[in-house]
Amino acid sequence: MFEMNDMTVRFAIGEALRGASLRVAPGDRIGIVGESGSGKSMLAACLMGMVPDAATLSGTLTIDGTDMTQASEAAWQAIRARRAAMIFQEPMTALNPLRRVGDTVAEPMRVHLGMRKAQARDRVATLFDEVGIPDPAARLRMFPHELSGGQRQRVLIALALACDPELLIADEPTTALDANVALKITDLLVHLSRSRNMALVFISHDLAAVARATTEIAVMYGGDIVERGPTADVLADPVHPYSQGLLAARPDLRAFPRDADGSRRRLPTIPGTVPPLHAMARGCRFSGRCPVERNACASVKPAPVGPRQATCHALSRGVA
Amino acid sequence: MRPLPANFIIGAALVAVVIGVAAVSLIWTPHDPADLDIRGKFGDPSAINWLGTDQLGRDVVSQLMAAARTSMAVALGAVMLGGSVGVGLGLLASAIGGWVEDSVMRLADLGFAFPALLFAIMLAAVFGPSLTNAVLAIAFINIPVFARVARAAANQIWTREYVLAARAAGMSKLAITRDHILPNIAAAVIVQATIEFAVAILAEAALSYLGLGAQPPASSWGRMLSEAQTLMYLAPELAVYPGLCIVIAVLGFGLLGDGLRDITDPRLARAR
Amino acid sequence: MATCQAGSHMTYFLFRRTVGFIATLIAVSIVVFSVMNILPGDPALTILGMDATDDALAALREDLGLNDPVMARYFGWVGGALVGDLGVSHSFRVPVAELISERLPMTVSLAVAGMIVTLMIALSVGIFAAANHGKPGDWLTMFLSQLGIAVPAFWLSILLVLLFAVNLRWLPPGGFPGWSDPVAAMRSLILPTVALALVQSAVLARVTRSSALEVMRQDFTRTARASGLSQRRILWRHVLPNALVPIVTIVGMQFAALVTGTIVIENVFYLPGLGRLIFQSIANRDLPTVQALVMLFAVIVVTANFVVDLLYVLIDPRLKART
Repeated sequence: MFEMNDMTVRFAIGEALRGASLRVAPGDRIGIVGESGSGKSMLAACLMGMVPDAATLSGTLTIDGTDMTQASEAAWQAIRARRAAMIFQEPMTALNPLRRVGDTVAEPMRVHLGMRKAQARDRVATLFDEVGIPDPAARLRMFPHELSGGQRQRVLIALALACDPELLIADEPTTALDANVALKITDLLVHLSRSRNMALVFISHDLAAVARATTEIAVMYGGDIVERGPTADVLADPVHPYSQGLLAARPDLRAFPRDADGSRRRLPTIPGTVPPLHAMARGCRFSGRCPVERNACASVKPAPVGPRQATCHALSRGVA
Repeated sequence: MRPLPANFIIGAALVAVVIGVAAVSLIWTPHDPADLDIRGKFGDPSAINWLGTDQLGRDVVSQLMAAARTSMAVALGAVMLGGSVGVGLGLLASAIGGWVEDSVMRLADLGFAFPALLFAIMLAAVFGPSLTNAVLAIAFINIPVFARVARAAANQIWTREYVLAARAAGMSKLAITRDHILPNIAAAVIVQATIEFAVAILAEAALSYLGLGAQPPASSWGRMLSEAQTLMYLAPELAVYPGLCIVIAVLGFGLLGDGLRDITDPRLARAR
Repeated sequence: MATCQAGSHMTYFLFRRTVGFIATLIAVSIVVFSVMNILPGDPALTILGMDATDDALAALREDLGLNDPVMARYFGWVGGALVGDLGVSHSFRVPVAELISERLPMTVSLAVAGMIVTLMIALSVGIFAAANHGKPGDWLTMFLSQLGIAVPAFWLSILLVLLFAVNLRWLPPGGFPGWSDPVAAMRSLILPTVALALVQSAVLARVTRSSALEVMRQDFTRTARASGLSQRRILWRHVLPNALVPIVTIVGMQFAALVTGTIVIENVFYLPGLGRLIFQSIANRDLPTVQALVMLFAVIVVTANFVVDLLYVLIDPRLKART
């Protein structure tokens, strides 16, 4: 299906993605977790051939055996929407304000699948129904500004599904939405993945949403995939120091833990901040913030180790 | 220090040349521009007449230099006149606000409906064509532009904290305008003035070409072009030089204005 | 329902705009009338010259109605204009309205042709520059447009005439042979239209480019790209319509330049339109004609801006809701 091997995205100032490998099979639901600057959006862009022109790529990306690494824009246009589709973070600005949403969703169907206007319109109505938009016939005549954020996101999902892709990449689909709407959208994506046997790559920094939506998860930091594995396992028992720090930082509303002397426990944080791209270490990118850091960590890039493919020197030594 | 933008440097260089030539012409030109020499008409470029002579034997270079003077004078007059009135109106509108602001801006918008040419035509029809009328007409169209710029810039300053503090301390609006608003809008006004200078040069050339501006014996690039047009078959090069001068002058001030804008307001999200 | 509210908002908006439009027209008429009639200067003296006898002057003043109170003269003029009576031309001795209607087709043809060609050039050049942002094509077009702004229309016309009429002798250097021979008529309009369009399109091309670049940065172009649409399709069907919205406003502002440009070009090429008429009238001291023509041109500019204002709201569905 979609296979990415050792993909590196290099800019003049640094590498936004380093040696990333990912395999997506039909029906998979994979989560990609990390903070801003972790390279998760760049990973997604690779899967769609939408990496900025200024970047150089190395590594390989094959789609059903076809090497797409150096593919032309025209070749990617055949893949996009038909094999792989993507929805982005900001539904409020992602739709052409001058077009009715029905026409926007119909466009790829008419361009790629050669559908006629009436035929496309019917299919749009069906799609709207599938993504949970009430009163589809009326909605498809509306302009984006007449719809709420949640409805626009559903329209964008419908747009992504227009040509029945095998893979749907959702890049922070719920970040800009209200909590309850976010929940519904997350569930919708899972439902669509199941009913269509469509692979879902769910990118988010919202751990709860990822937990809900995915069966496998990859944790990213500074352009590296630092740990991967079954979602439940990784979230319950992370092995990489970064994942541990990330998961320890989740506020737990169900309990208000107190220390032995009765004082409230502070929310743990990872000290320091993510360095800018040009200041990233050549070795392990988490160096400088890692609680179990060694001397070699900053200069030597750690190789993936163990069942979780964790990139950590301390782990390969059997410590931590 | 960020390097100065290219358009500023090129513009400044061109402007320096034009102003330099105009200034020099006040005290010296290769020949007297009004000196006729009918027998020497349509002369080729030579050591004596660097670009040759025109249909009346006058030295082309001297004429061009004298015309530069006219251009600069008209542009200066029009921009200063229109600028001071316009900025005054803009500051007034901004300081008082409310319906005064609305009506002043409406009045200014009226100026946009009137191309300079139409105004110059009216003045010429009533008073006869003259350079003064040209200056007035060009000044007239400058007023709404400066009023808009001054008002927009001033509106931003009125909400700043030190102004609010001054008002709370009882300072009069007039004093605030003089001491705080005016210095702070100076940059925007100067940028606009430079651009309007370019517009004024173009307008003066057009008006003079049409006979509504510089009258003989005053030299003007526009007038030289209109004379040259009648001689196109005899001496086509006479039609090239004055136009080139206009382009250099307008380009120079235009680039300079753009460059100044880039320097003073780099925050402006402009697509470069 | 949302649509009902939008309807009544729209009507109110239209009403306010129309009132503003009429107010501007009235203000313009007052300015024109004042400048031409109230400013110091004796029109009778201007018309008859310094050698005229006092009797002749007095008779002419009576004839022109100069002894009537100002307000009466103003309303007389406006009232007459509204029914098509614009006075009588002194030099041609025919009603001004007749002079205008004779020459109107020429001016309108030139202006319309000029506008169409301007739009064609400016939009394609602007989009081309935006699509090639940062590459040589972009820099070249930007330089050319900067040049275009600096080049006077009448000089460009002369250069074009030098090249195509004097040198190559492909096209006539000026004048108009009449509509009876359509081919010859077209040929004499080519250079004027091109000169007018080239100069006007410079400004518009820059605006198109920056507007297009602005739009290209917006999220929905990324959505379109992710839908596998070709770059050409995205550019023409998504970027351009959105970029047009601010461009339309600029086009409206360009009408003042179009009017000026048409007047100038008609004089450069000796075309028998309203532009030539104005200058003949100035030379002849024909005040009623000048007054009528200035008013006409000002009305055109104001009306154009008004129409553009309305168009703007019609094009952008977001504004329709907000009005």
